[in-house]
Amino acid sequence: MPAGRPRPAAPGPPAPPAPLLGLLLLCALGAPPGSRAHTAIISPQDPTLLVGSSLQVTCSVLGEAPGTPAEGLYWTLNGRRLPADLSRLLNGSTLALVLSNLNGSQQQSGDNLVCHAPDGSILAGSCLYVGLPPEKPFNISCWSRNMRDLTCHWSPGTRGETFLPTNYSLKYKLRWYGQDNTCQEYHAAGPHSCHIPRDLALFTPYEIWVEATNRLGSARSDVLTLDILDVVTTDPPPDVHVSRVGGLEDQLSVRWVSPPALKDFLFQAKYQIRYRVEDSVDWKVVDDVSNQTSCRLAGLKPGTVYFVQVRCNPFGIYGSKRAGIWSEWSHPTAASTPRSERAGAGGGCEARGAEAGAGPVRRELKQFLGWLKKHAYCSNLSLRLYDQWRAWMQKASKGRQQHRARAACPRAEGARRELQPHIWDPVYPLSRAPPDEPQLAEKPRSLGALLLAGPSR
Amino acid sequence: MSRREGSPEDPQADSSVSPLTHLEAKIRQTQSLARLLSKYAEQLLQEYVQHQGDPFGLPGFSPPRLPVAGLNAPAPGHADLPVPERLRLDALALEALPPLLDVVRRLQAELNPRAGRLLRRLEDAARQARALGAALEAVLGALGAEPRGGPRPEPAAVAASAASAAAGVFAAKVLGLRVCGLYREWAGRAEADLGALGPGGPA
Repeated sequence: MPAGRPRPAAPGPPAPPAPLLGLLLLCALGAPPGSRAHTAIISPQDPTLLVGSSLQVTCSVLGEAPGTPAEGLYWTLNGRRLPADLSRLLNGSTLALVLSNLNGSQQQSGDNLVCHAPDGSILAGSCLYVGLPPEKPFNISCWSRNMRDLTCHWSPGTRGETFLPTNYSLKYKLRWYGQDNTCQEYHAAGPHSCHIPRDLALFTPYEIWVEATNRLGSARSDVLTLDILDVVTTDPPPDVHVSRVGGLEDQLSVRWVSPPALKDFLFQAKYQIRYRVEDSVDWKVVDDVSNQTSCRLAGLKPGTVYFVQVRCNPFGIYGSKRAGIWSEWSHPTAASTPRSERAGAGGGCEARGAEAGAGPVRRELKQFLGWLKKHAYCSNLSLRLYDQWRAWMQKASKGRQQHRARAACPRAEGARRELQPHIWDPVYPLSRAPPDEPQLAEKPRSLGALLLAGPSR
Repeated sequence: MSRREGSPEDPQADSSVSPLTHLEAKIRQTQSLARLLSKYAEQLLQEYVQHQGDPFGLPGFSPPRLPVAGLNAPAPGHADLPVPERLRLDALALEALPPLLDVVRRLQAELNPRAGRLLRRLEDAARQARALGAALEAVLGALGAEPRGGPRPEPAAVAASAASAAAGVFAAKVLGLRVCGLYREWAGRAEADLGALGPGGPA
């Protein structure tokens, strides 16, 4: 692409003819009328060059002047005086300059090359544009928020900086018909991005590409073909609530609501939860939540504040076979586990009524309960009962403190006697339940003993 | 004191508040506006030179201070003129500035397309200059002075300015520097001239 002058925008009336232009140029950069100073003209004006190229430029003093008016003139480039050995007098009124191996321009508006009179006053100026043609844009990726719009971003090229103002234009059209459209809202999601806010069709593919143009050339990306339904994302799940699970010191319950914009379409949606301890930067991710809107985190540390976030993937929307795009994480919600002397280990999410997910004790208990269902008469046993028992154990432990204080109360005393052997004697049969014990569907013989006498931890 | 009669939106109905007080308030208000716009004009100039590259921002840089077609700098004898005449010249200059600032904005949109803040400041400056010019004319009208003593700036002046800029990028940069400098000068001039209309002035 040949070097040329820029085309600044001009208002309605046409430009005056050339002689007037020359006069105006004199007025713009020359001396006031009647002075003894002279003006000059630089040629070429505003050249565009490739990085590494060379340039010869001249400064010619205008008007009639005695002697050698070009003698004593000097050049500056971006305010820095250039060495005299780069210049030479071509004739009495013209000073030439040779610049070799040019670097990329230092500013968008061009490098300022100025011809000065011996006293330092400015006679003329020209702007150099030194850069590189644009590379082929690549790595276009797009997403649609709730099927209403489309945002795309791309990479400008592996080489990076072109040193010249480079215009990127995102184009799109329906694959089998329709005209080319140009995206208008740029920089919506970063410097190389564009947002199409409306009028998008579903169930039909689009072709999308990016064109890059600057003074030295143009380049076009490969065409990306996509269906809006295959790149859908949505809002983070709202109304995330995190609460304790009764008195269980190592669990928290997380509940949320489906993103309302797509709530009628999210029956196949997936959710992910992540959580971390308050003063930690390491998140733990639970990604087997499927399409439920609640989950129980287990194996947490007692007496600890946790931050929890949830996000949604609108998988399978309108029958799309492709994975959707994960939403942003919801705002962090904080909750604390109850205090306890026992510490918990890290774990995953435990859905309500689901099988045990973590820990050797729970695994073995699950196996034991399975065996009991098969071989014993206690068919209604479940981990739910185990959780209830644990909650009761904690209450009973606090109650023991209170019962000691109320020693005069016969009922409390009786309860205490019941509790103590129940807690501490591994072989104490549960033939008579203490007053606060939750009702079990069936009371198996020596279940408590069996649980208390479980495998060593 | 008896309760006032009449509508509170019509202070003229109250003989205890003289028109002179309203005029003084208008003058002070316009002077405050001029002071504010002087500051904005200074900020605009700083922003402008940053985007043109060196030597535009360097301390020793001084391109020829040549007149822009259609608008001159305040003359050396401006401060010696009668205050109403000074204000009249201020108003004329501020009225001539908006189209020139628009030209500079269009040129900068081509030269510095990513300089969003500069382009916004240039757009705001055109509106501000127009507002200050109108406020000065209102003050002149309240003073009973002739608001406009000369011809309106010709559209050809704007075209000529744009044409001179079309002669080269460097010339366009210098033109913008000159116009921003003139805006700063005339806003400061208006503030000073309004200050000369102190208590006991020619109202």
